[in-house]
Amino acid sequence: MPLAQLIASTLLLGGIYALIAVGLTLIFGVMRVVNFAHGEFLMLAMYVAFWSFSLLHADPYLTLIVSLPLFFAVGWLSYSVVMRPIIHTSHNVQVFTTVGLSIVLQNVALVLWTADARFLRTDYYAVALRFAGAVFNWAQLVAFAVAVLLTAALFAFMRWTYTGKVMRATAQDRQAAALMGIDTNRVYAITWAVGIACVGAAGVLLAPIYPVYPTAGLQFVLIAYVAVVLGGLGDMAGALIAALVVAAVEVIGSYVVGTAWKEVLYLLLFIGILVVRPAGLFGQRGAEAFGS
Amino acid sequence: MHHRRSFVMALAIVTVIALAVAGSHGQQAPSGEYKIGVLQPLTGPLAVQGKLHLEGYEIMRDLINSQFGGVMGKKLVFAVGDGPDPTAVASEATRLATREGVKIITGTFSSTLCGAASEAASRQNAIYWETSCVDPRFTRRNLKNVFRTEIDGTGFGWYNIEFIAKHLAHRLGKKPNELRIAYLSEDSSYGQSVTESARQRAKQEFGMQEVAPPEYYTFTTNDLTPIILKLKNTNPDILHHIARDQDAILFWRQAREQNFQVKAVVHAGATGYGTPGFGKAFGNDANGPFALLEPGPGLIIEKFRPEGQRVERAFREAVKAKTGSDVLTGGHQLAGGGLWILKLALDAAKTDDLDKFRAAVLSLDLPVGSGVNGWGVKFDEAGQNSNARVQHYMLQWQNGSLVTVWPEEFTTNRAKWIPLGPWDQRK
Repeated sequence: MPLAQLIASTLLLGGIYALIAVGLTLIFGVMRVVNFAHGEFLMLAMYVAFWSFSLLHADPYLTLIVSLPLFFAVGWLSYSVVMRPIIHTSHNVQVFTTVGLSIVLQNVALVLWTADARFLRTDYYAVALRFAGAVFNWAQLVAFAVAVLLTAALFAFMRWTYTGKVMRATAQDRQAAALMGIDTNRVYAITWAVGIACVGAAGVLLAPIYPVYPTAGLQFVLIAYVAVVLGGLGDMAGALIAALVVAAVEVIGSYVVGTAWKEVLYLLLFIGILVVRPAGLFGQRGAEAFGS
Repeated sequence: MHHRRSFVMALAIVTVIALAVAGSHGQQAPSGEYKIGVLQPLTGPLAVQGKLHLEGYEIMRDLINSQFGGVMGKKLVFAVGDGPDPTAVASEATRLATREGVKIITGTFSSTLCGAASEAASRQNAIYWETSCVDPRFTRRNLKNVFRTEIDGTGFGWYNIEFIAKHLAHRLGKKPNELRIAYLSEDSSYGQSVTESARQRAKQEFGMQEVAPPEYYTFTTNDLTPIILKLKNTNPDILHHIARDQDAILFWRQAREQNFQVKAVVHAGATGYGTPGFGKAFGNDANGPFALLEPGPGLIIEKFRPEGQRVERAFREAVKAKTGSDVLTGGHQLAGGGLWILKLALDAAKTDDLDKFRAAVLSLDLPVGSGVNGWGVKFDEAGQNSNARVQHYMLQWQNGSLVTVWPEEFTTNRAKWIPLGPWDQRK
């Protein structure tokens, strides 16, 4: 068994899943909203990288710098227009709203850019580093490094900054936070915008690795949901570790048992862990009910 | 008196000229109208292909009316329906049959739609004329009203093995039974039917060696490295890979990273390696893989029969006039080719009565090279046109373009990079 390559593939694939999962878990952790449009924001960011490269010859790593404030603004705008009016309504309304937003974004992309898969081919798309008998794709290695950095940065932001503490206070008890003078609407807007900025960065980093098309987000976001729940809702380090666990099951399961079984394997693991630990690997029991 | 004689002379001359002009086309101008239903997904995720098929039908319809005497001597007209999903397509098929009163419905290109559309047409006792969907189950339901002009998924497998056994084997200096094949496919009914029929023919007719059981994957998979590692272990001569869309791009990139060497990669259909997106993604780095498709650049039309040359040229000119492009899309070719055969069937039957129409369709017997795309016609009892008559072509990615390379008698191009060399030397 080519163990070194399987480990390398696990790290690289897990990095990609973690990159998407951190924004998702942040939004869920603070707002208790499951964002079903998360994959579509990822897809939009991939298109931003693709068109910046095709039309302006901008390297995706340059676009990454622009994408963070850009998607923060997109997040702020989408919160103000779509999420703010329904943030205090029932979970059903929130689910239908984010699903609706997802369908709208997919179809806008379909109308604007057709269903064709487009690939951002940089000069270094085929550059791979060989180390200890394993091959590491350069772009995936960068994505993995950014995933670790982003998780660490978000963790530090939530733990040690004033805004982070305010966000955690709101997550723990929305009404008590409001009574303490915290503008919870503003906290939610910041949370949503930071979450979308994270997935914006993820999309730009994925563009040199995977083709982009209007439903590109769907193939990643389901696994990101699994990582978020498995890691413990709202736990960023948990999401990173869970993403690596899911990737390991997928890669090693594909090699040993067969690719057709990989979804069965990681979903079985998912169910198994939730039976034993309903709050996920690192989550607090009852976290899903916080803040309500 | 003198004026009357001059008038009669002039009338006679005009009549002679008119008859000569009509005779030069061999057809009379159509009188009256004959309406058929056309169903395609014109909205939703399948709309891009659906619109290309509709455009192909419209171009061929106008050609049939202007140059080939319409159908059954009447001008062919369409009632168009939009069927983006199975529920909508069934409802539109019912509407076309009951409200528009059509006796024949053609469509729908997608394997997710043709089953539902044809069932609905059958309930209304309407003829369903499929020009593209390749699901093998379509003609296996004992429905007397369904016909398909294109080969099905099993036909694609049949052609791929034909190409491997009769062209690649000797180019690789091996007998067909010495070839070692690996099968890899996305797991849709299309991918599975092509793969299983290829496996069956390769083993039973040519004794080719299978290096491992076929590997199926979901086309949205995010990492194909584990499969590539397994393929490297089995060391096949040929990889038979049916890809859907972006999975072809992912596989090609990761195969290159892992330096996976195989002597040839063979695909079938206008998906995966058969899409323009694959060439755009890789440019010259796409060089090498084969895709079974309708004829592309390099086709020698003069090799068709005279009647086939005439309609193929007229169709290509009409497509160019409409789109400005010399290169036809698969949607245009499948729709145009299928509608042309419907015209031949209606002209032969002279009626749309199901039993008489069916008898006429089953008695059509036209050799390869008779129609659009060089297709011939010979339907079986299930309503399926024959593999051997629906001539298909192997195209290869060469310097950013898909060009026709096989059968060699139909093309000016020749297959290159057999065996495929190192990744950086396929120039």
